[in-house]
Amino acid sequence: MNDPHRDVGAPAFTASHDPACDDAGLLRRIGQGDEDAMAAFYREHGRVVFAQVLLVAGERVLAEEIVQDTMLAVWRGAGSFRGESSVRSWVIAIARRQTRDRLRGQRLRLVDGAFLADQPGSGPGPEVMALDRAELAAVRGAIRELAPAHREVLGLAFGSGLSLPEVAGVLEIPVGTVKSRLTAARIALNRILDEKGQNR
Amino acid sequence: MNADPTDTRSPHLELGDLIAGAAGQPIGDRAREHLASCEHCRLEANRWNLVADGVRGLAAAAPEIAQPARPRRTGQRVLAGPWRRAMLAAGSAAAAFVLLVGVGAVTGLVHVHLSGPGTETTLTAVTGCAQLEQADGTLEQVNGSSLVIKTASSQLVTVTTTATTFVSMSGALLGDITDGRSVMVRGPRSDGTIQAAIVAIGQPFSAVNPPGFVPVQGTVSDAGTSGFTLVTSGGTRIPVTTSSDTLVVIPHASPGQFQAGATIFALGHAGPDGTLSARAVAAVSQLRSGGHISVSVKDCSPSSIDEALGAISATPVSGG
Repeated sequence: MNDPHRDVGAPAFTASHDPACDDAGLLRRIGQGDEDAMAAFYREHGRVVFAQVLLVAGERVLAEEIVQDTMLAVWRGAGSFRGESSVRSWVIAIARRQTRDRLRGQRLRLVDGAFLADQPGSGPGPEVMALDRAELAAVRGAIRELAPAHREVLGLAFGSGLSLPEVAGVLEIPVGTVKSRLTAARIALNRILDEKGQNR
Repeated sequence: MNADPTDTRSPHLELGDLIAGAAGQPIGDRAREHLASCEHCRLEANRWNLVADGVRGLAAAAPEIAQPARPRRTGQRVLAGPWRRAMLAAGSAAAAFVLLVGVGAVTGLVHVHLSGPGTETTLTAVTGCAQLEQADGTLEQVNGSSLVIKTASSQLVTVTTTATTFVSMSGALLGDITDGRSVMVRGPRSDGTIQAAIVAIGQPFSAVNPPGFVPVQGTVSDAGTSGFTLVTSGGTRIPVTTSSDTLVVIPHASPGQFQAGATIFALGHAGPDGTLSARAVAAVSQLRSGGHISVSVKDCSPSSIDEALGAISATPVSGG
């Protein structure tokens, strides 16, 4: 095992592609009732949407139902896509609304505005240091224990391929608030790791 | 980044850059340069990378969405015909995936297409651990903790690493044998001189263990172009000769040490956008590019994964 404290340099980047044109074309075809396009759309976005919904909902059957409802909404509403956002962020926004509605039905609050209000990012403290020593598996476990809104913003930022402005669009909050929420999520993550002693 | 000298704000990278980088979004050259020189920001980047890898790991571990045979909720509206057929088509794709995995258990090689035809990224399954996937190809670019490799089918795959990724490298890396380095030498002995077949620099791993050669551990002294003196812990000085056939293995390397053109083997978890979040990476310069090696692991344990890639690192020089 490598030295866990080793600096690993610059953050990751992705060899990107721009599927926007293909996606928009798919939506147009879906809007015209093209079943093959719907299947292709599902293959392109279904897994990412499901992973995001599962991260927030935390329960597979529920997440599957939400994705099912989301894709139905896509089928019915493809014609309403105006191209003002990426298709990925558009479908995730639909999934978010579906998730919110379902969780609201369970008397769960997806977003606790007071709790998530712009918490200032602090400098590295003992809690932040916990993350320096944490194993990836422990981090994954800790993410599962975060509040739904924290899981949601982390999933959108790091698991959905959305840019920060797109995340902001999905959440309907300013970019600065997205950053604050991410910082708050990381602080909460550190606290969980610290409390569990799941750090080396 | 706040690089303006008259700017009294933090001199470090902005949060947006760190998050964008961890999210796989492109960051500017100035931010990249700042990262290279600022330990504070590298640590911050590492923390965000770890969080991002955690999220991606969860996403990769999410089960395939299988189309329910019937609506789960009693009284739920009947699925629209086209959508149901779409889901059935997706279900067929999932079935095909399962079939391929079944084939993979026999062949040790499964191609999993993670994205659409225009952006096809080819990863292969790993025998012995269904949770792992493998990417291999020629190193195109190193960018801090991430690598871009080109597969045999000319697809670009981004491999991300974190502080916990096992990173090794090997090849004719004689220049890395320098005075004071702790090494493990294996090779035939003649007249008290070891003709080095393998030199492992630093803490070796068990995979670097070709039969027939008793390993000798010590510290490098008098390093030169044709060999060095191995000084054992007891003070014994043993001459060691090296050649272009000597395989040098660095079991604990960093991506920044990799050489362009090296063959990269990476094991890890597939991200949602075709990236591979690596658990272990080996940069192997002694093998010709283009050849595919299917990786097998005993189980999903970290030590098994490290050993599997360690074994690849210790694969002898293939003659160029």
